Amino acid sequence: MNKNMRILIVDDFSTMRRIVKNLLNDLGFTNTAEADDGTTALAALRTQPFDFVITDWNMPGMTGIDLLRAIRADEKLKTLPVLMVTAEAKREQIIEAAQNGVNGYIIKPFTAQTLEEKVSKIFERLAATA
Amino acid sequence: MNASVSPERAALIQRLHEALDALERGDESAMRAEIDALAQARTRPLVQGLGRLARELSQALGELPQVPGEDHRNAELDDACARLDHVIEMTEKATHRTLDLADECRSLVEGLRAEGVTDGQDQVLDRIRHNLTEIALTQSYQDLTGQIIRRVAGIVRKVHEGFSELGLPPQEAANDSFLAGPAVEGLDRHAVSQVDADALLSDLGL
Repeated sequence: MNKNMRILIVDDFSTMRRIVKNLLNDLGFTNTAEADDGTTALAALRTQPFDFVITDWNMPGMTGIDLLRAIRADEKLKTLPVLMVTAEAKREQIIEAAQNGVNGYIIKPFTAQTLEEKVSKIFERLAATA
Repeated sequence: MNASVSPERAALIQRLHEALDALERGDESAMRAEIDALAQARTRPLVQGLGRLARELSQALGELPQVPGEDHRNAELDDACARLDHVIEMTEKATHRTLDLADECRSLVEGLRAEGVTDGQDQVLDRIRHNLTEIALTQSYQDLTGQIIRRVAGIVRKVHEGFSELGLPPQEAANDSFLAGPAVEGLDRHAVSQVDADALLSDLGL
């Protein structure tokens, strides 16, 4: 796994963005950027190169699921791995995210270990299918 | 029938009889008057109840303590939703302060390590660093409680709007994109755990 990969953290709560960023730093990923909803995230993704997106679901403006749909519908972005980190814990929502092509799903509150496991799993899977 | 029938029930029986009599003798206006009287008797407790609820709600909102603070805008926090938004702001500030301090402690730990420590001390520093990570992660409560507060604020807003419209209870807005937010233990039964989510995703080929 490339520790220099550029990661976009999307959450409307600045505290949560900071917590995810700190955890990623602990895991050795220091090349991160932040966005506070799907709209600003999409604008960033279309103007700068990113390797990975970690997004919340419930945000004002564009939600995380709409961001995921927009990424999968965009010719240049469609293969970008997306990890959803959200308080939404209904089966239907997890299924909806999976059907829209999410690469991983973490339910808040989560542990540092869960984040590490899911990130590793996503990149192991991508390496296996590449 | 029953001898110990309540006065309300007796009145209802009498009205129904009178309405039936009027119908049978073809007196439509008398029948309508009886039906109207019945409808009024049925809705009066409902209207009274709603009126009482509306009064109690506005009293409760009026009685909430003013939020102290250096900002003059605080004096204008005249509705419950603004107070709840203020709670989100306060917890956000406090959370950032905690995260600042945790960050500072982490660099102090690394500074100490760089100066050279024994193996035993190194293990203690690892432990401290781990705890600082856990402290930071625990601050995610601010996001989760914030989401719950926003939901409650939305409900209060709806109740308020409902009461102001002709004293009717608020209508449930049909909204397909409704998100439940963080599950509250003992209240929400919809939630699944990370283990359930993993099993589900694995079934879905992820």
